Amino acid sequence: MATQRNCEGFTRRDCLQLGMGGLLGGGLVGALQARGDAANATKREADSCILIWMDGGPTHYETFDPKPDAPVKIRGEFSTIATKLPGVRFSKHMTQLAEIADRLSIVRSIRHNQGNHGAGNHYMMTGSPPRIPVGCGAFVSFHPSLGSVAARELDAPSGMPAYFSMPRMSRSGGPNFLGAKHGPFVVPDDPNSSSFRVRDVALPSGLTGDRYLGRQDIRQQIDRMKRIQDEAAGDPLLAVDEFYQQGQQLIRSTKSQQAFDIHSEPDETREKYGRNGFGQRALLARRLVEAGVPFVTLYEGGWDHHRTIFKELNKKLPPFEAAMAALILDLEERGMLERTLVVALGEFGRTPKVNSRGGRDHWSNAMSVMLAGGGTPAGQIIGATDRQGYSAIERVLSPENFASTIYAKLGINPGKIVHTPEGRPAPYVSDPTPIHELMS
Amino acid sequence: MLATSPKSLSGCHEVVDNLPKYDTCGDRCALLHSRQPRYNEGHPQTHSLLPRNAPPMCRFHTIVGIVFSLVWCALVPPPHESTLWGAEPVSFELQVQPIMAARGCSTGACHGKQRGQNGFQLSLLGFDPEFDYAALTMNARGRRIFPAAPDQSLLLLKATGQAPHGGGRRFAVDSEEYRILRDWIVAGLPRRVPDEPTLTAVTASPTEQFMKPGQTLQLEVTAHYSDGSMGNVTRMAMYQSNESAIVAVDDDGVIEAGPIPGEASIMARYMNVIATCNVAIPLAGDVPDELYAKLPRNNLVDEHVWVKLQSLGITPSGPIADAKFARRVYIDIIGTLPKPNEVREFLADTNEDKRQQLVARLLDRPEYAEHWANKWVDLLRPNPYRVGIKAVLNYDYWIRDSFRQNKPYDQFVRELIAAQGSTWHNGAATLFRDRRSPDEMTTLVTQLFLGIRLECAKCHHHVFEKWSQDDFYSFAAYFARVGHKGTGLSPPISGGEEIVLTSKKGSVSHPLTGKVLEPRPLFLEAPTIDPDSDPREALAAWVTSKENDYFAQVMVNRIWADLMGRGLVMPVDDLRATNPPTNGPLLEALANDFRDKQFNLKEVIRTITTSYVYALSSDPTDRNIADTQNYSRHYRQRLRAEVMLDAIADITDIPNTFAAMPPGSRAKEIWTHRVSSLFLDTFGRPDPNQDPPCERQEDATVTQALHMMNATELHARVASDKGRAAQLASSDNTPEQIVEELYLLVYARFPDSDERAFGKKLFDTATDQAGRKQATEDLLWALLNTPEFLFKD
Repeated sequence: MATQRNCEGFTRRDCLQLGMGGLLGGGLVGALQARGDAANATKREADSCILIWMDGGPTHYETFDPKPDAPVKIRGEFSTIATKLPGVRFSKHMTQLAEIADRLSIVRSIRHNQGNHGAGNHYMMTGSPPRIPVGCGAFVSFHPSLGSVAARELDAPSGMPAYFSMPRMSRSGGPNFLGAKHGPFVVPDDPNSSSFRVRDVALPSGLTGDRYLGRQDIRQQIDRMKRIQDEAAGDPLLAVDEFYQQGQQLIRSTKSQQAFDIHSEPDETREKYGRNGFGQRALLARRLVEAGVPFVTLYEGGWDHHRTIFKELNKKLPPFEAAMAALILDLEERGMLERTLVVALGEFGRTPKVNSRGGRDHWSNAMSVMLAGGGTPAGQIIGATDRQGYSAIERVLSPENFASTIYAKLGINPGKIVHTPEGRPAPYVSDPTPIHELMS
Repeated sequence: MLATSPKSLSGCHEVVDNLPKYDTCGDRCALLHSRQPRYNEGHPQTHSLLPRNAPPMCRFHTIVGIVFSLVWCALVPPPHESTLWGAEPVSFELQVQPIMAARGCSTGACHGKQRGQNGFQLSLLGFDPEFDYAALTMNARGRRIFPAAPDQSLLLLKATGQAPHGGGRRFAVDSEEYRILRDWIVAGLPRRVPDEPTLTAVTASPTEQFMKPGQTLQLEVTAHYSDGSMGNVTRMAMYQSNESAIVAVDDDGVIEAGPIPGEASIMARYMNVIATCNVAIPLAGDVPDELYAKLPRNNLVDEHVWVKLQSLGITPSGPIADAKFARRVYIDIIGTLPKPNEVREFLADTNEDKRQQLVARLLDRPEYAEHWANKWVDLLRPNPYRVGIKAVLNYDYWIRDSFRQNKPYDQFVRELIAAQGSTWHNGAATLFRDRRSPDEMTTLVTQLFLGIRLECAKCHHHVFEKWSQDDFYSFAAYFARVGHKGTGLSPPISGGEEIVLTSKKGSVSHPLTGKVLEPRPLFLEAPTIDPDSDPREALAAWVTSKENDYFAQVMVNRIWADLMGRGLVMPVDDLRATNPPTNGPLLEALANDFRDKQFNLKEVIRTITTSYVYALSSDPTDRNIADTQNYSRHYRQRLRAEVMLDAIADITDIPNTFAAMPPGSRAKEIWTHRVSSLFLDTFGRPDPNQDPPCERQEDATVTQALHMMNATELHARVASDKGRAAQLASSDNTPEQIVEELYLLVYARFPDSDERAFGKKLFDTATDQAGRKQATEDLLWALLNTPEFLFKD
């Protein structure tokens, strides 16, 4: 019987009470009708985006959408704290973000239907659901990721990749049909290490710059293998050429070498971000954005808390949220926040009821997404879940809306239609309607 | 040449047709019909019964209302005006459930997903009538149906949008769906109607079709029932194209050929049964038949490829020269580049059949086993942190030894599936230390050895396939009695010895019904299980049986993909009607040949590498440039990570050094992905932490380019005082001889006169030994950083 006691009853009642019956029924149709208008929204509000990917699916309860009045089985072990915003509470570990809640926008009402990691990652990372059913372990790509589209559409400073992913690429963070040249430049090395350097970007010791240039010249002159220029042929050599060119630019660019040099950052700043891998990657992301890189993904695993969620989060959340807060404040102090969008999310939220192993399972009916900067109106909460956090019920939004927002902010038309190498037309986002509350 | 009228597409579909047939529904999802269906060809084509304002959640539902009414008209006498008690009984399974499927209610995005939607859960596309009947009539305290006032039933109020519904309005109050559901409620919710036949199959017509750009065609979908009757369900089916830019299909089943030549497969789904139609749009313009007639036919491969190319109007590229052939075939068969003296000897050989002889020699070389075993360990290799180092080492040895013996593939698979004994003595037993439960083994065995992906059927009826949970767990029952004795897993060391044995007891039961299931294979007859032996032996016999078409096909497809740059089926281990091979007759012929030759892997490799098609150039013609799946030209492949690293060791003459391996080991001999190598990781070696760790990254990346240009280790090899560049520089060789040697080492061919001249010029400024070495190093570095080294062309 317990499993039958579920969201249907009160969702409907809540809707009726709030007089919003029509919203749920017609929301999606409405969204479709809005398509045409939104497709032209290309005024660029942000130069860059730092996307913090919390892999595994972060809980909404223990972060931005606590439910203190729900039964203990649902509200969990954590208390809540007040934030800078009157009446808005975060879960207890979000202390530093609560302090700067007036700089944030929290969306509490994104909902979708992909409850496993492979599919959820794909949906949120690309704005497109996987074309065929995929499993939890799947690393799939049917559509270009946010970062790859940004890399294709936006300029990066000469010699710099337009899309970084650290310390690894997320499952669906690839370019798909846009081609490997728009894939992420992955920096696997740990910037918290004293010997950190971006590997293979510096010349090997013992090789002079002149000799390096001479070698490149020889390489070009002896390279005689015929390229098939027609895109339909899918010649893999074209991508290799691109990468050699890009690699050389990177090696030669002093600007990029400086951006990578995290050691030149004052200790005080490094401490603020936290001397841990994630903190220092967040700092490196700021340096990259400063150098003009339009898209940086910070991948942080370990959010799949099927068991002992409270114990795990006691350790995980404090340094993590401190680094996010440090990043936002640092950007603000440097006058960069206005043009830099910071976003944090995972593939879905987590189940309302704490399970028998003290964890929460996958739950795509509700999730919270944090945004700051990049022309995002600050200090607002968008949408709501029901009283117990089961489901987004107010201002219900889709991954398509989310992806469209990121694109629109970066000045990319989310409805733009591109063609695959086979000639198949594909829009970046099928429903190109940004979340208007997040637009300036 | 051009298809102005429908004609048969050369056999793409045949392979599917030739696969074993069995009940497409499975016993749990049988569909019953309330009335004797009558096939009515003359039913009116009506389009205006239902509004088409599609709620956006599901793609296929828009027209289904009309559809249903048409079928209704076709199957049922004119309805009574009266909807009082005693109205004609309505079939739950053949009339109510199809509405729920076709209107999107029971799809995976809505109430058909695992936990349902808002507490209302239906089985996915209606595969479980009992469950759905209970969900509609009994669950939620029966409030979804209100027999006393049918129109007030939540089912009807929600579906018509009269009550708030997350899925929006699915049909209108004045629709046929509404009337049918209402009649069913009025009739007292009959679960069954007497003498209902079952749905036995769904077919599409045509199954194969040539089309011209812009042409349209109505697909017809027919349901076949157990009493021999049929019904036209074209307008009740949902449609999807796997390449909608090439060939699109709309909600009514109208196929439209796009502007670009190519091929696509159209899937039609009625309830949870699928039929397919393969469509091809040939290239415009005529190619004389003699062109194809005159093409050489070395063996069965060539004939099948030419037939396919002819049907599409594609012409093949020209043949490659001997040097390129040697490099290609060395890389493919033994995973190394030919040495300079081997290139010289092969080019000087004047025998007519020197290519066949070379293939034969290579198949006998010891490197063959290491190269091909290295591909198989990708698929089987467990993480030693999980199962222990000794078990992994033994397993690796067992796999390599099988390739060294050229063990027949069926025997290899039988020994794996039925492995017994200590993980310290029989490496194959490690498989059962790694995959410990019957369901894990089921997923692995079906995907690896049959190319059937059963994973979905673990939790629900497979959406694209015929597999049910019953199929899955009956298969899993073969592994029910796998017993373990000794020390189990204790990560991260897991060092203990474990014995895999046949346990006296053990069973697998259906997760929903709880019924204990007898072992049953997916199709064909179940082999008898000897009560004294492990049921896995019966399973192994079934998997490797010559009657089991999947077994041979998935393996030849893997080999073909490795050698030809693309599988006949992609992904290589996903064989199903909705993912047809690009050349079905060829796949079938290769598989038959493999069986006839007692599953000898070397014979498959020999057949492919001695075909004329194998030795085609990668340079396109104007009639094959866009062909990426019919093998009219060679498809270039980047060298595999291990092949590249071993080649660099040979070329620079600085052997590899790996942890936990003897000095000078080849990268292909590495026995666990835990042996660290930045180079192998950069070039796509699978990540040992991923589970299962078998995905290889084949795309080029900027990190690879940077690594080739700047990696400290590679730099050291090129510049080493003991290495190739130093040896050549200090030899008596003239600059021209050094240039020639470098080209032979890296490209496996002689430089032409321009290349010789350019290379020689690099030595002009070299006045001393150091200068000679530097010039040698620079040219070597440059050669290694060109695609002619990085790729198999």
